[in-house]
Order: sequence, then C-alpha cells, then structure tokens
Amino acid sequence: MTSSLELSPSPQAATAPAVVADHLIKHFGDLEVLKGVSLEVPEGTVTSIIGASGSGKSTLLRCMNLLERPDQGELAIADEAIRFTRNSQGDIIGLDRRQLQRLRAKVTMVFQQFNLWPHLTVLGNVIEAPMRVKGLSRKRATALGEHYLERVGMADRRDAYPAFLSGGQQQRVAIARALAMEPRLLLFDEPTSALDPERVNEVLGVIRGLADEGRTMLLVTHEMHFAREVSDQLVYLDQGRIAASGTPDDVFDDPRCRQFMAPAA
Amino acid sequence: MDFSWLSDPFYQGYLWEGFVNTLWLLLVSSVGGLILAVGVALARLRGPQPLVWLAWAFTTMIRGTPLLVQLFFFYYGVGRLLEGVPGMRDSVLWPLLSDPFFFGALTFILSVGAYSGEVIRGAMQSVPRGELEAGRAFGLSGFQVLYRLWLPRAIQLCLPTLTGEMILLLKSVPLVSTIALMDLLQAANIIRDETFLVYEPLLLIAGIYLATTIVLTLLLRLVELNFPGMRPTRRRWLPIR
Repeated sequence: MTSSLELSPSPQAATAPAVVADHLIKHFGDLEVLKGVSLEVPEGTVTSIIGASGSGKSTLLRCMNLLERPDQGELAIADEAIRFTRNSQGDIIGLDRRQLQRLRAKVTMVFQQFNLWPHLTVLGNVIEAPMRVKGLSRKRATALGEHYLERVGMADRRDAYPAFLSGGQQQRVAIARALAMEPRLLLFDEPTSALDPERVNEVLGVIRGLADEGRTMLLVTHEMHFAREVSDQLVYLDQGRIAASGTPDDVFDDPRCRQFMAPAA
Repeated sequence: MDFSWLSDPFYQGYLWEGFVNTLWLLLVSSVGGLILAVGVALARLRGPQPLVWLAWAFTTMIRGTPLLVQLFFFYYGVGRLLEGVPGMRDSVLWPLLSDPFFFGALTFILSVGAYSGEVIRGAMQSVPRGELEAGRAFGLSGFQVLYRLWLPRAIQLCLPTLTGEMILLLKSVPLVSTIALMDLLQAANIIRDETFLVYEPLLLIAGIYLATTIVLTLLLRLVELNFPGMRPTRRRWLPIR
C-alpha cells in the first residue's frame, strides 16, 4: 500500500539554508523578548537552541511558524520570504492569510505538552492536517499516516485515543503528526520537558533517528547531552540575544556559556 | 383504583397523541436549542461587542424569568399580536403561527439556547489553549479549528451537563398543557374532567414520564460513552458487531 507513495525524500546534502532569520525583534507589551536575533539553519541539519528560562528561545521557535509574529525583521523559511514591519496604525503587517497557511503546512511543530486532539484517534490526529490543509484524500492521508506511525513505533495504537496513551507515546504520535505534513522544517519545543524521566529516551530516540535521516530540524531543549550529540549547530540564547553559536563543541567551550552549561558538562 | 377508562379508544388516542407531542417537543427543542446555544456561546466569546451584549441580554432575560411566564408571553402576547397584523390570517405562515406547538417549541428552544449556551460557553473556555494552537500551527483555518477541534472538544467536556439539561427539559414539557397543546398532562386533564377520576390518570402519566426518563437516560448514557475519546479505542456505535 505504501509502496505507491513517494514518501518524504530526505533532504539531500546541505545546499540553500532552510531558514534565514534576520534581526527578529519581538515584544510582549513593554518586554522585549527577542532583541534582534539572526539565525541560519542549513537544509538537512539540526540546530538546537539552548538558554535559561525566559531567554526567549521558545518565542524564537514559535516565530518560525508564526505562532508568534515578530514585530520587526525578516524571515525566509522554505521558499516563503516575509518581512515584518508596521503600518501607520502600528499594526504588524508582512503576510497574508494564504501565505501563512502555506508556511505552516511546510513548517510543523512538536509541542512540550503534546497538544494532541483528544476527540480524535491516533490516526485521526495524524491525518487531520494532511486532509484539511493539504487536501489529500482520506485514503492517501491514511497511508501516509500509517507510514509515519510505523516510523515512531505507534502503528499498533492507531485506533486508540490520546488520553489512554502514556506521555512518551503521545509525544511520538505528535511527532508522527508533524511528519505526516512532510514538512521542510520540523520544530521541537522542549519535546521531553513534560515527560516522566523514564519516557524521555523513547522520544529522544525517535528524534535522533530523524536527525540521522537528514531532516531539517530546529530544537529547543534542556537536554544538554542530547543537544550536543545530535546537533550540527548550537545557539545559546541569553536575554533575547544570541550569546554564542556554532558547532556544539565551540559553544560548549565558549566561556560565556560555560556557567550555564556547567551542570551538564 | 379504577383504570377501566384505559380501554376507551378515545382516551388511548389522547394519551398517544400526548406522548408523541411530548417527544416531538423534546426533540425539536433540544436540536433547535443546542444550535442556538452554540450561536449564543460563540457570540459571547468571539462576537463583536454589540453581539456580546445582545447574547448577554438574551441569556439574562431568559434565565431571569419563569418558563411559564415566557410560554404565556409568546402564546398569549406575541401570538395575539401577530393575529392582529393585517393579512396575517391569510399568510402561508398562519397555520404555523396559530399552532400552540409552534409557541411551545419556540419557548423551549429559547430556554435551551440560554441555559445550554452558558454551559457550552464555559466548556469552550476550558478547552486547553494548546490544542487549538496546535490546530493553527498545522495550518487549519479559524473556521476549521472551530468545527473540527474547538466545538467537538467543548461538547465532549460538557456532554453530561447537556444530557442532564435534556432530561430536565422533558419534565418542563407539561407546561404546554396550559396553552391548549395536547401533551400527556393535557390528556390526563381531559380524562379527569370526563371521568371524575383524579389520581388514576395522573399516576399513569407519572409512570410514563418515569419510564421515558429512564429510557432517555440510558440512551444519552450510550451517547456519552460512545462520544469519541471517552473510551480507550474507537468503538462502533452499538455494542454489536
């Protein structure tokens, strides 16, 4: 059944960057959360964003699929270029609804709290967006959904409802849901922070497998060892600014983030 | 105890008509009322300011006045007023507007809309934000988030309360006997007036209400249990294969 499908060709060798963020600024009221963050994620690589709570790392990640809309700056993601400015009324302008929907179909997200839809089965969760956003037929979406559920080891629970799964299982379903859109960029917002310690590894294992496939991923995490091991690029965010970035080894050795890393290193 | 009147086909006819009317009123009012309730909840949560006020005023009026008063208001007040409108008696709407069933259903729909509207509003507010955000994050439109995620989830959360409202509604239906609509109580009243038996007809319809409530409770329980997400895995609607 799945043989007739073209299933997400893994991105080939690093070519054009999948994400270019240029000088993103974001305020919440008077609080400036992002103070001009510039970031580049090459295609087929993994970038992890680390930093203390309140450093703006989740906000930065959420800007990537416009769950938060930057006040200023430019964003080029998966062939969509968006420039954020304000009009004379002070409203943020910079993208229309269709562009927003196109972008979100190409950039999918895995949340800290899983955020599965409890009234839909595991399979229902996975095929919802492919059917309603990308317009796939139920048959095709189901084939795709089953493939990715298999990929995260949840195929045998396809008819279960989320409330009856463990946290680790729910998060794996959430990953399958994000994969089923065949996105250009995968976002992970602290994917293991809400899990019991003994469930963390099953989720990290899946993410590691995706990294090995050469998927483009942007990851916010507190799992320092994991970030060091799996990432091609590490970004250390401190109070809304990038304090250090580069290869994991460079960043871990950087004196500016030594103190932050200390417990993990 | 004298139940000999039960064999009279006329009385059987009254009772049957009363029973059918009761169920019809219940069905029409529940369906219409729930649709209105969703509208009221949405108006209060997402409507433009005038609509928010309108929904609030509606809810306050309906919940702040007795159901019987509302029934009289619509049937004797609005109904009579419409009667006086020139040409109304010849209009195609007249058969509807002269039927007490219409005013009974209207009153109950408004009542369900107000009470259940508040229930649904509360349930919608308690759907975790993250679930709706996930919908937006995957590119679903605002309307898709509403009808695929937000409403089904809200109804899942408040289903036991809604079914409770429906059972309460069944017991409000006898009020329509005051506007000359043939329901179970009206049938009992006619039998009492003609046979001079007070308790027997009342006992009988009390038994019918009780039996209907039990059946309705079981049916609604089946709905609750089979609502998506309430049991570990997807089930067929009835426990038969």
